[in-house]
Amino acid sequence: MSHIIETRQLTKVFGSNGTAVHALRGIDLTVERGEFVALVGPSGSGKSTLMAIIGCLDSPTGGTYALDGHAVEKLSGTALAHIRNEKLGFIFQSYNLLPKASILRNVELPLLYAGVGRKERRVRAMELLEKVGIPDKANVLPAALSGGQRQRVAVARALANRPALLLADEPTGALDSKSGAEVLELFKELHQQGNTIVLVTHDAGIAALAQRRVELRDGNIVLDHGTTSTPPSTPPSAPDPHLQQAAA
Amino acid sequence: MSRTGAFSERFRNAWVEMRENFGRSTLQALGVMLGVASVLGGFSISDSQRKRSDEAWMKLGGMDKLNVQPAAAVTDSQPSALQMANLGLRSNDATGGEELDSKSVQGVSVQKNARARVISPSADQERALTGIGGDYLPLNGYEIEKGRGFAAEDIAKASPVAILGFEAASVFFPTGEAVGQTMRVGSTPVTVIGVLKEKVFRFRNSQGNRFAWRNRIVALPSTLVSTRMQGDAYRRLDRVVFRIPDLNVMQKFTTGLTQLLKSNHRGQADFRIDDIGARIRKRRSQGDVYNVIFMLSGVLSLIGGGMVNVNIQMATLKERVREVGVKMAIGASGREVFKEFMTEALLITGFGSFVGLFLGIAFSKVITAAIGIPLFMKADSFVWATGLAVAFGFVFALFPAFKASRLSPMEALRYE
Repeated sequence: MSHIIETRQLTKVFGSNGTAVHALRGIDLTVERGEFVALVGPSGSGKSTLMAIIGCLDSPTGGTYALDGHAVEKLSGTALAHIRNEKLGFIFQSYNLLPKASILRNVELPLLYAGVGRKERRVRAMELLEKVGIPDKANVLPAALSGGQRQRVAVARALANRPALLLADEPTGALDSKSGAEVLELFKELHQQGNTIVLVTHDAGIAALAQRRVELRDGNIVLDHGTTSTPPSTPPSAPDPHLQQAAA
Repeated sequence: MSRTGAFSERFRNAWVEMRENFGRSTLQALGVMLGVASVLGGFSISDSQRKRSDEAWMKLGGMDKLNVQPAAAVTDSQPSALQMANLGLRSNDATGGEELDSKSVQGVSVQKNARARVISPSADQERALTGIGGDYLPLNGYEIEKGRGFAAEDIAKASPVAILGFEAASVFFPTGEAVGQTMRVGSTPVTVIGVLKEKVFRFRNSQGNRFAWRNRIVALPSTLVSTRMQGDAYRRLDRVVFRIPDLNVMQKFTTGLTQLLKSNHRGQADFRIDDIGARIRKRRSQGDVYNVIFMLSGVLSLIGGGMVNVNIQMATLKERVREVGVKMAIGASGREVFKEFMTEALLITGFGSFVGLFLGIAFSKVITAAIGIPLFMKADSFVWATGLAVAFGFVFALFPAFKASRLSPMEALRYE
């Protein structure tokens, strides 16, 4: 019973009545501890919206969402910030490091927000930098690093509070193929160490690395491949032309 | 807080932010700087001016004096028989007044004015004579330079002796020692027994001696003036002054004195009592108006600066939306973001106030030097200037910080 993610009939509507856009149309998704899930789908499929809701950056319009056993769909901004800090680690396509802070301070930041003391912060941040293989860069600014190194820093920062879930949004999108492969290697390692990872990508090759592949289209899950839990409870009601296309 | 060093981290971030955007931060600090300088400078200049004017009063023998002068009891029409029979201010008014409250009254001076021709071997001039008695010299800030003052006996017997002011001594005895010399006042030969120290006071360095007229004094015993120079058997006085250092007593004493003088003067209010302290306090309260004006100009520049800061902060916020988004994504609450922005704004305010204080000092120095009065700064002015700047800095920082704290993390992350 260790669901990391458990959503029921998750919907998200942007705008109101006349101009409403239904980004999510009832997502049921369960992710177990230790899974490596690739979330794929074309742009406009709703995967970014789903990612934002899973990441507690946004609230769903309807449905329920439990993260590591905590119902989060009704939480306030401050409580969500707390959850993000404690349970989640984000890795973005564009790294999103703070340009004016040293690498070490970037990695320390989530620990600071968690209220970890200064000394322990420093020690843990150094351990994390060692883990991702760039302990020698602790005191330089992000601008002095290559893209691959920056993404390693981002991974170290995401791991800082030992999160229940790592969320990666196109983590290799901005990297050349060699550094991209290295970063993916790092993700594999992290998965082997027992981390739960949800990775958003539109690259089929990267998605293939994951043990499970969830495909979104028009706000619905159209494919859940390699699942260890229940299959989608609401299969597409009508034959989906995109699905057929994908299957072909 | 202090355990995790969150405050010092925020402070350090704010410092980095300020250093990295030096131009912008300077611009933001400028409004605060000018506001602080203007409040501090304004206060200090007005304090310096006021102190200088207090010094002038102290040199005149202090502000704790109660003046009694004769006044016309007759307003219009013919004086009544009673009014005609009235004798005016006399020495028994002075002694009676002192007896009213001998503990509080620290000095009494009497004065009788006259004019006469004064002749010495070197000069022959028409001069104002000052018949003095009691503590006239100390109450008016005079000091003996050579010789001696009048003894009680000189006053009682109306001795033909004189004390000369610095200027008078140099006019009538320009060649040397005045003490011991004889001069003729009217038709009376008098012996000079003392010479007074020169009195100098320049309100501004560039100005002439404001007290030059005081060096012209030719002082004689009041009794001598009233008997010999004016032939007044009633020994009427032109002025009686009581020194009462305790201001709280002044009011009560005035009431008692009024009653006493009325009964001495057969029920006639033919005198005028005026409290120099009250006059000065009134002048001072006019000085307060300047303080209000200076404070207002400071506050206006702080408001102007504050509004510029709000604008700059709002513009900066646009650049930093993404940064806020990232911080929120990794767990910064709205409250934390709010605190970070407030810390930055307050650091700039603090920096601006600090520089502003020096600017204010420089400003006051230049102005007081230009008008030629010594600079006098009170700790209060520093507290006011800094306090106002911090208060306004705080208020104007609230809005941008609030806006930043209310950003939606997802929209902030997507902001380009």
